[in-house]
Amino acid sequence: MAFEKIRDPSEKTLAVLLLAPAFLLIALIVVYPIGKLIYNSFFDLRLSGGSGAFAFVGLQNYKDAWVDRDFWNAASNTILITLITVPGALVVGLGLAMLANLPFKHKWPVRLALLLPWALPLSFAGLIFAWFFHTEYGFVNDVMRRLWLQSEPTMWLLRPNWAFTAICATIIWKTSSFMALILLAGLQMIPKSLYEAAEVDGASKWQQFWQITIPMLMPSIVVALIFRTITALQTFDIPYTMTKGGPGNATETLAMLIHKTTIEYLDMGYGSTLAVCMFLLSMVVTSFYLRRIGRTA
Amino acid sequence: MKRLSLTTLATVALSASMVGNTFAQQTTLRVFSGGQNQRPDLMRKLFDEYQKANPNVKIDIETGGATSELQRQYLSTVLNAKDSAIDIYLIDIVNPAQYLGAGWLEPLDAYVGGPNAMKPYLPVYAQANVVNGKVAAMPAFADAMFMYYRKDLLEKYGIKEPKTWDELAAASKKIQDGEKNPNLQGLSIQGAPIEGAVCTFLLPYWSMGKAFNDGAGKMTLDKDAAAKGMDIWLKMVDQGVIKKNVAEVTTPATVNEFKAGQVAFAINWGFAWDRFKDDADSQVKGKVGVMPLPAVAGGKSATCVGGWQWAVSAFSKSKPEAAKLVQYMASPSSSKFLAVEGSLLPTIQSVYTDADVTKAVPWFKDAANVVIAGQARPISARYGEVSDAIRTTASAILARTKTPAEGVAEIDSKLSRVMR
Repeated sequence: MAFEKIRDPSEKTLAVLLLAPAFLLIALIVVYPIGKLIYNSFFDLRLSGGSGAFAFVGLQNYKDAWVDRDFWNAASNTILITLITVPGALVVGLGLAMLANLPFKHKWPVRLALLLPWALPLSFAGLIFAWFFHTEYGFVNDVMRRLWLQSEPTMWLLRPNWAFTAICATIIWKTSSFMALILLAGLQMIPKSLYEAAEVDGASKWQQFWQITIPMLMPSIVVALIFRTITALQTFDIPYTMTKGGPGNATETLAMLIHKTTIEYLDMGYGSTLAVCMFLLSMVVTSFYLRRIGRTA
Repeated sequence: MKRLSLTTLATVALSASMVGNTFAQQTTLRVFSGGQNQRPDLMRKLFDEYQKANPNVKIDIETGGATSELQRQYLSTVLNAKDSAIDIYLIDIVNPAQYLGAGWLEPLDAYVGGPNAMKPYLPVYAQANVVNGKVAAMPAFADAMFMYYRKDLLEKYGIKEPKTWDELAAASKKIQDGEKNPNLQGLSIQGAPIEGAVCTFLLPYWSMGKAFNDGAGKMTLDKDAAAKGMDIWLKMVDQGVIKKNVAEVTTPATVNEFKAGQVAFAINWGFAWDRFKDDADSQVKGKVGVMPLPAVAGGKSATCVGGWQWAVSAFSKSKPEAAKLVQYMASPSSSKFLAVEGSLLPTIQSVYTDADVTKAVPWFKDAANVVIAGQARPISARYGEVSDAIRTTASAILARTKTPAEGVAEIDSKLSRVMR
């Protein structure tokens, strides 16, 4: 009987059977780690210097985070980086995409130039730009000196505001190519006939851009923004390699604080709590975007 | 006939099982031996010798992590996962307490015969490696911060080795004024937020005769003195003795700039000596002197002691064999080999006066006194937090985003919770 059922399953059983592997996989690589993370965030899991008892502490870690100045500093840095670099990368990326969409004779050199910053590992980009912004050996100061823009070399990475600027500029450089790639695909989907019709009606280039390009590109822009925002909230590599969060902790992001708490301080419980907070932040932002998409769709 | 074949079979089986046994006795030990500054090339030579004497042991070497922090991060990841892949690892002098606290290293008492085994070693190494009465690790080689100087420049301007920080600033000024080279720095110290910045914070403070912590690890920070210590550096920045972007200077930056002849005095680890003397691109070959660090007037010279220890992983599947190898690596003969071949400072007093060693590295005679007078950085099971609080704040003070008083108060409030 049971055997019969498996050999000739009803539609419902078949659906369950076919979906099971995917469910199992997701449970294993998504649900379990996140569940474990949330579970750990309720424990005192200090590997060094703790009681060693790994005790259940309830919401204590969350209360600690609430009054932790380092946490709020890192959270506000992360949000600020997101607010600056996401729109920044969108504007630069859109410009690059429109450039690449021009009718070049050879398309591949433009496309390659677009791909390169994206293909470069984040930490490489961070290290390269750290040298660019170095006070004495840096390219940026050298150019400014040659142009007589400064009498004293600027200590880019040692002044909180300049360090922040340098990091944001690097992130925009690094991520706008990804934006451009997605937007370029969107641009190529816009039918030429729309522009021709607008031309006939006497619309200016500027009007064409705002009335045709931007609305038609909206779905691509939203997708690109979601991806970019989530990765911006997780910013780690570039500030870590450029300033290590310095000077002091002026450029420390949430991901860096989590890394420091778990790997350097070996405080797994509190690190998990911070990670849950970051997860919640990402969830809030993503659900905001998703609701917007729902509305536009 | 039948019986015979059975006997043969039994014999074959027996010998096969014996062969199997010898295979089982063949142990492979995987060793994490730090980054290039910890000279894995020389360690490999010692391992080869050991393999020759113990044919049943095979030693694989793994390297990585240019700095102490990066190595600590790597090992944290491996050991936190309770990975048994690494049997032995090399750790910085600041780490035995932390690793023992985390349950990552196997106490060696049963293998080496308890804390008495530490007797031949210099006191600071015996102290760092015995945690709560247990032998946590065995010393591999020593290191300490030295004051390197340009012998030729000091002679040219008739300057004697400065004994105080003020004398050093005055001497630097004299040399810089005389040389008229805008790129010549008076003194190079490490101000980037790296492990070396912990020493940059502690050196002037210690040189006032102050201690950062007591024997039990409780913090005894004298805030005024510590702020004054940082003021010594900032004053030198204002005088142009130390360069303005000192908060960007890492250990390799000091080495490279001194090698390029752009520095009159430099504070750096012992390994730098070979870089100045041997590197093909060194502009200062034969012009380098080394001396103990200056102190404040009326204080006493103190240096930051570093160095590396061999530890057996708590997750190793071959602990007895690993412990045996660690003992060999911490022996006087290995220490002597590392001293002669790589000028790595010994942790054993008698090796400093060994005839072969004094012949190969004559400056070790004086180095011994510096190392013996050296102080260990705070010993704490939560050293990660201690180091981070000190180095980021010290760097921020040198970048002038915090005043010395603010910064020291911050270190105090952070660490009074950690080191009590």
